[in-house]
Amino acid sequence: MALEITGIAIPSLICIFLFLWGASLFFAAAQSPQGAMAIFVVGKQWMWHLQHPEGPREINQLHIPVDVPVRLTMTSEDVIHDFFVPAFRMKMDVVPGRYTSEWFEATKPGSYHLFCAQYCGTLHSGMTGTIEVMSLTGYAQWLRENSTAESMAQMGLQLFSRLGCDTCHLSDGTGAGPALQGRFGKQVTLRDGQNRVMDGAYVRQSILDPASLPLPNYRPVMPTFRGQVSEEHILQLIAYIKSLASGERTQAP
Amino acid sequence: MNEENPSVETYIVVFVALLILAALTTGIAYINLGTLNTVVALAIAAVKMSLVGLFFMHLWYSRGLTRIVVLAGFFWLALMVLFTLADVFSRSWIKPPGP
Amino acid sequence: MFFIGGAAAVMMRLHLIEPAGALVQPETYNKLFTMHGVVMVFFFLIPSIPATLGNFLVPMMIGARDLAFPRLNLLSWYVYITGAAFTLYALISGGVDTGWTFYTPLSSHYLNTHVITTALGVFITGFSSILTGLNFIVTIHKMRAPGMTWKRMPLFLWSIYAASVIFVLATPVLAIALFLVGLERIFHVGIFDPAIGGDPVLFQHLFWFYSHPAVYIMILPGMGVVSELVTCFSKKKPFGYIFIAYSSLAIAVFSFLVWGHHLFVSSQSVYAGFISSALSFALAIPSAIKVFNWTATLYKGSISYQAPMLYALGFIGLFTMGGLTGLFLASLATGVHLHDTYFVIAHFHYIMVGGAVMAYLGGIHFWWPKITGRLYHDGWARFAALVIFVGFNLTFFPQYMLGYLGMPRRYAVYPAEFQVLDVMSSAGASHTRRRLLDSIRLSSLVHPLWTRSRIESLERERPGMGDAIAASHR
Ligand code: HEC
Ligand SMILES: [Cu+2]
Ligand SMILES: [Cu+2]
Repeated sequence: MALEITGIAIPSLICIFLFLWGASLFFAAAQSPQGAMAIFVVGKQWMWHLQHPEGPREINQLHIPVDVPVRLTMTSEDVIHDFFVPAFRMKMDVVPGRYTSEWFEATKPGSYHLFCAQYCGTLHSGMTGTIEVMSLTGYAQWLRENSTAESMAQMGLQLFSRLGCDTCHLSDGTGAGPALQGRFGKQVTLRDGQNRVMDGAYVRQSILDPASLPLPNYRPVMPTFRGQVSEEHILQLIAYIKSLASGERTQAP
Repeated sequence: MNEENPSVETYIVVFVALLILAALTTGIAYINLGTLNTVVALAIAAVKMSLVGLFFMHLWYSRGLTRIVVLAGFFWLALMVLFTLADVFSRSWIKPPGP
Repeated sequence: MFFIGGAAAVMMRLHLIEPAGALVQPETYNKLFTMHGVVMVFFFLIPSIPATLGNFLVPMMIGARDLAFPRLNLLSWYVYITGAAFTLYALISGGVDTGWTFYTPLSSHYLNTHVITTALGVFITGFSSILTGLNFIVTIHKMRAPGMTWKRMPLFLWSIYAASVIFVLATPVLAIALFLVGLERIFHVGIFDPAIGGDPVLFQHLFWFYSHPAVYIMILPGMGVVSELVTCFSKKKPFGYIFIAYSSLAIAVFSFLVWGHHLFVSSQSVYAGFISSALSFALAIPSAIKVFNWTATLYKGSISYQAPMLYALGFIGLFTMGGLTGLFLASLATGVHLHDTYFVIAHFHYIMVGGAVMAYLGGIHFWWPKITGRLYHDGWARFAALVIFVGFNLTFFPQYMLGYLGMPRRYAVYPAEFQVLDVMSSAGASHTRRRLLDSIRLSSLVHPLWTRSRIESLERERPGMGDAIAASHR
C-alpha cells in the first residue's frame, strides 16, 4: 500500500512540477520585456519579408544584435505560416488578419536557422531563412551600410500622402476625418458607445474596413483601402500614425 | 419503453408552430435591435429545435436512457462552444504588444 | 464474416496504393503526406479495430447473436466504401495537398487541388463511424445476455464502448468543419476568411474538437485488446479491473477538453493554452492507470510469449514511450518548441503505430483462429512481431531527436545537418538510403511487413482449431 502511494505520488509531483514550470515560461514568453527592439514580419507564400523600424528591409534573413531582446510583430499576406527559430526555442503562428508576436534574446553571435513551421502550401519547405546574430558594433555597422533613405514611419508618411489620407485627416482637425495627431495608444469611443484602444490592430481595421469603426461626429466617408495596400504598407502607415503620437517628428526627407 | 405515439394533430400543430416561428425570424431580421438581433434569432432557433426534438423526435414521450443520450449531446455541444469562446474572450487579456 | 474479410481487403488496397515514389517534387511530396494522413487516420486507424474485431467480438462477448442493428451495420459498411471511393477518386485524379488537417485558409482559398472531393469522402465516412458507434452503444446497453452485468463485461467491451461514445459525439463536428470548408470554397461565405470577418483559427478549434478525441478512438480499442491479451497470456485476472474499465470512460470524457494543446502557437489565448495544458496533464492519469495495471497484471504471472503477447508487450512499451513524450508536448514551454516538428511525428506514430497498429495485429493474431477456424504459423508470427518492433523503433526513434533539434514536419527538403538522423530513420524505414525523408516511406516499413505477416498468417495457416488460448478468449 505504501508502495502504491509513493508510486502514485512521485509521478504526480513530477507532472505537476513539469506543468507549472512549462506554464511559467510560457507566460514569460507571451509578454515581451519593455524596450525590446522591434522588427516587423510579413509572411507570404513562400518567403519572409522583414523590416527594421529604421527602414532596412530583408527577405528570408534577419540581422539582429546579440544580448538585446527582440520583439517580432508578425502578420501574413495569405495563409497561416509560423516563424520558428529552433535555436531560440521560439515559434509562433503568423496568422492573416491579425498581429501575433514573439520575442527572443540571442545570447551568442552566429547564424541560426529560420523555418516556417506551419504547412503553407507547395514550397512550405522552401520558406526558410537565417537569423544573423551580430555583435552590437557589428549590428550598428550593418545598419549604417544598409540604411535606407527613410525610416518605416517616413515611408508611412509617404504612403499617407500618396494614398490621399492627408486630404481628409488634416493635422488641424478641419478635414472630413479626425486628426490623427496624438491619438495612437489612446482610448477611442465609437458611435455605439463601445470603447477601443487605438493600437496597430485598430488602425489596420480602420484602413481595411473603416465602416466597422464609425466615430461620433464624423460622416462615414472613409473608403476602404483593401486591395490598394499590402500588409507591409499597413505596418508602415501604423508606424507613421504611431510616430504622430509619440511626438517624434517625422518629416518628409 | 412505453412510447405512446403522438397523434397526427400534434404533428400538424407543431408544424404550424414551426412555420410561424420561421416567419417570425424572417420578420425580425428586418427590425434593427442592435445586438439583440442575434440573441432573438438564436432564441427562436432554440425554441424551434426543442419543438422538433420533443415532438418529431419523440423525446416528449420517451424517458430514461434516451433523454440522457440527448442531454449528453447538448452538454458536449456546450463544452465545445464554451471552450472556443473562452479562447476568443481571453485573447485580449494578455495582448501581444502589437505594432 | 464476409464483412470482415471485405473490410480487411479494402483497407489493404488502400494501403498498397499509398507507399509511393522516392524522389519527388515538393508538390507531389505534399500530396503524399496528405494522402498518407487522410487514408491512415480516417480510413484505417479509426475504423480498423472497431470494424473488424469490434463487429466480431462485441456480440460474442456479451452473448448476443449479432449487433442490435445488423442492417445499419451493413449500411455503415457501404457508406464507408462510398467515402473511400470519393477519397480514392481524389487521389487518382491528381491528389490533394492540404495535409490531413485541412487548415484554413490554405484549404479554403489557396489550393486548387481536389479538396472538396477528399473532404466529401471523409465527411461521408464520418457517417459510417457514427452508425457503427451508435450500433455498439445500443448493443452493449440492450443486448447483454442475462448475468452479463456491466462489471463483468470483458475489458475490450469497455474500451469499445468508450470509443463509441466518442464516435457519436465528436464525428459530427468534423463533418461540420469540413462542410464549412466546402461552403467557404464554393460560396466564400466568410467563416474562416479574415478578409470578410472570418476567423481562420476557428477551423482549428472545430477540427481538433473532433481530432483530439479521435486519437482516443484509435487507441482505446487497442487498449482494450491489450487488456485482454495481457490477462490471457499471463494467466491471471486483470489487476484493478474496475480501474481499467473506468479509465476508459474517463479518457472518453476528458479527451474532449484538451484540444487546445494543438493550438499553443496558433495565436490562441495564453489562458486557453494554460487550461488545455493542465487538462492534458490530467488526461495522462487514466492512461497511466492502464499502463500500471497492465504491468501489475504481468507481475508474477506465468507469461507465455506467443505472438499476440509479443505484440501486446510491444504495445505497452511503445505506448508508454509515446505517452511520456506526450507530456513534453503538453507542457507549454517545451510544447512551443516541439510543436509541428518531427518530435510530434514520432510521438503520434509511437501511439498510433506502436500502439493502435500493434494492438490490432495482436488482436487479429489472437482471434484469428476464432474468426477463421485456422491457426497462423506461430514461429513466423513471432518473428514478424519482433521485426516490426525493431524496425519501428529504428524508424521513429531518430525522429524524436530530429524534432528536438528543430526539424519541422511536412518538409520536402531540409538542411544538411539533419541528414544523419534522417538517413537512420529512412534506413529503418526501408533499408535504403534516400535523401528526402517522408512519412510515406517511413510507413513503407510497417506496411509491407504488416501485409507480409498477414499473408503469412494466411498462407501458412494449417487446419485445426489451434490451442486452448485461441479458443477461449475469456
Ligand atoms: C474621404 C476621407 C478619408 C480618407 C481619404 C481617409 N480617411 Fe481615415 N477616416 C475618415 C473618417 C471620416 C474617419 C472617421 C471614422 C468613420 O466614422 O468612418 C476616419 C477614421 C480613420 C481612423 C480611425 C481614427 C480614430 O480616431 O478612430 C484611422 C486610423 C484612419 N482613418 C486612417 C486613415 C488612413 C491611413 C488613410 C489613408 C490610407 C485614411 N484614413 C484615408 C476619412 C478618411
Ligand atoms: Cu510554411
Ligand atoms: Cu491532442
